[in-house]
Amino acid sequence: MALIETHQLTKRYPGGVTALDSLTLTVEPGIIGLVGANGAGKSTLLKILLGLLEPTSGTAVVLDLDAQRAGSRIRALVGYMPEHDCLPPDVSATEFVTHMGEMAGLPRSASRERTADVLRHVGLYEERYRPISGYSTGMKQRVKLAQALVHDPRLLLLDEPTNGLDPAGREEMLNLIRRIGHEFGIATIVASHLLGEIERVGTQLLAIDAGHLLRSAPVASFTERTGILSVEVEDGADALAAALTAAGLAARLDGRTVLVEARDEQPYDLVRDSVVDLGLALVRLEQRRGSLEDLFSDEAPVTDAA
Amino acid sequence: MPPDAGHAAAPGQAGASEIYDIGYRGYDGLRLGRVHATWALFVASVRQAFGLGRPARAKIAPWGLAAIAIIPAAVALAIVASAGPNFSPFSYDDYIWQMQAVFGIFVAAQAPELVGGDQRHRVLALYFSHAMERVDYVIAKLGAIVGALVIVMGAPMLVLFIGRILTAGDLAGAIGDELGSLPQVIGSPLLHAVGVGALSLAIAAFTPRRAYATGAIIALFIVGQGLSQAVSRLSSGFLRDFGPMVNPFVWLDGTRDWLLGGTVSESPVARSDLSLSTYGLVTLVVVVVSIGLLIWRYRRIST
Repeated sequence: MALIETHQLTKRYPGGVTALDSLTLTVEPGIIGLVGANGAGKSTLLKILLGLLEPTSGTAVVLDLDAQRAGSRIRALVGYMPEHDCLPPDVSATEFVTHMGEMAGLPRSASRERTADVLRHVGLYEERYRPISGYSTGMKQRVKLAQALVHDPRLLLLDEPTNGLDPAGREEMLNLIRRIGHEFGIATIVASHLLGEIERVGTQLLAIDAGHLLRSAPVASFTERTGILSVEVEDGADALAAALTAAGLAARLDGRTVLVEARDEQPYDLVRDSVVDLGLALVRLEQRRGSLEDLFSDEAPVTDAA
Repeated sequence: MPPDAGHAAAPGQAGASEIYDIGYRGYDGLRLGRVHATWALFVASVRQAFGLGRPARAKIAPWGLAAIAIIPAAVALAIVASAGPNFSPFSYDDYIWQMQAVFGIFVAAQAPELVGGDQRHRVLALYFSHAMERVDYVIAKLGAIVGALVIVMGAPMLVLFIGRILTAGDLAGAIGDELGSLPQVIGSPLLHAVGVGALSLAIAAFTPRRAYATGAIIALFIVGQGLSQAVSRLSSGFLRDFGPMVNPFVWLDGTRDWLLGGTVSESPVARSDLSLSTYGLVTLVVVVVSIGLLIWRYRRIST
């Protein structure tokens, strides 16, 4: 069973902004990274999947339920963590998450129990009895995640879950998401504008741009594709590029760095030897990580077999 | 690992400090639907109206005003107990009319509390991403403000009612006398709570800004009260009859008089030529329009 299927999904806002343009995609269970620049249509897609927004045309099916007709039934099975702040300041995390559990249909006593469980899982301890107004951004993000988990959803929609977090907090949040997907076994969609984050937690990648599907592929297959070496030298990048091209490698200049296609081990040796031969100062030699720009500079949308 | 991060070891191993994480557990229990969620939001909102489960400063306004509303009833009882029932400064008919400013301030403080914060802090996005529909939210919040007002308006009436029975020399006779007033004791707070609650909530729901909402509701009740008295005493004809209705307590008092009897001499209703059923009609229209506005507002609001 597909987790999510959309067909020709289009959303135009009044005023002429097209957030989604004939988006057709199929998503299998797992941890799915939904990547796109700000304004690419990520939040709009999540809201349509929740049945909160009506699409202008097209259909969306979530967990075998039609998003437009069975929005209420979908929402009962889905946990949603919005991008923006959504917590009342004057109640405690325990009180608030318990309340949200009840909103999801749990009896009060069951909701209390689940709240204690999920707050422990997201890493909120003594502070959970204090009013939320005193929490740090990291703690607030945890409460937002906890309220999405309290009713043990079958699908979790996380919109920019690392927003506003410092590097350590970011790391912890990503670990948490990985645990939720793998250990808790809850299908998770993570919307983010940071491809690096998705690479680290996701099993599948959906890239959208200006409401179009750019690529849908397993994360592993995507990172394989960027078999590109990035070589940064102090001076003489152009000489190095020329030398490598002469040696039969596909090399091109990008500012002070030389980008070399490296499908196997051999180019590493050639780069090393060329740098020594030319007497250049090597600053950095690294396997280039896939970046959003690479993804978006591709001419035509490519859909690899998932 | 923090002390509550797992369950302690089995009792047989007392002294063993081992704590282990039991891992994630799913939930296979009961999943109730919209009705349960709406009821839970209603209960939580009534608690919110009285600042329960919140810091002390959230309790000052509701409890202070509730106390101010009750004190005159208690004082009245003391007078009745010492000077006899004929000297009571308040009756069941006019208690809410006399204390209208207190109830006006209460609703001005607490109606924005119930709906403003959810808009200001964008909690609505969470409510609407659960099973409940938008109209359920309106029902729960409307129920909560009416429920809170019934408590605040009904408590002094109840104090008066029980007190008059207990302070009477002839207990059995007093119960018989006072039982006839029961419709007024129950009906008057209920009627006023519905009218005041629906109108105030409809005003409060239109802005996330608490100060604006509170200001608008205070203006309605306090300015309306002064204006209605002035218009009622100084003008004549159509203006004297309809002008005072800028104060919601005027059409509510007329409706109360129509349904439950007992004219309040200070009320503009007493000086008007209108039939009492006209006030009933105004009340009905205002309540229906207020509820309609609330539903319309929450259908359109983007989260």
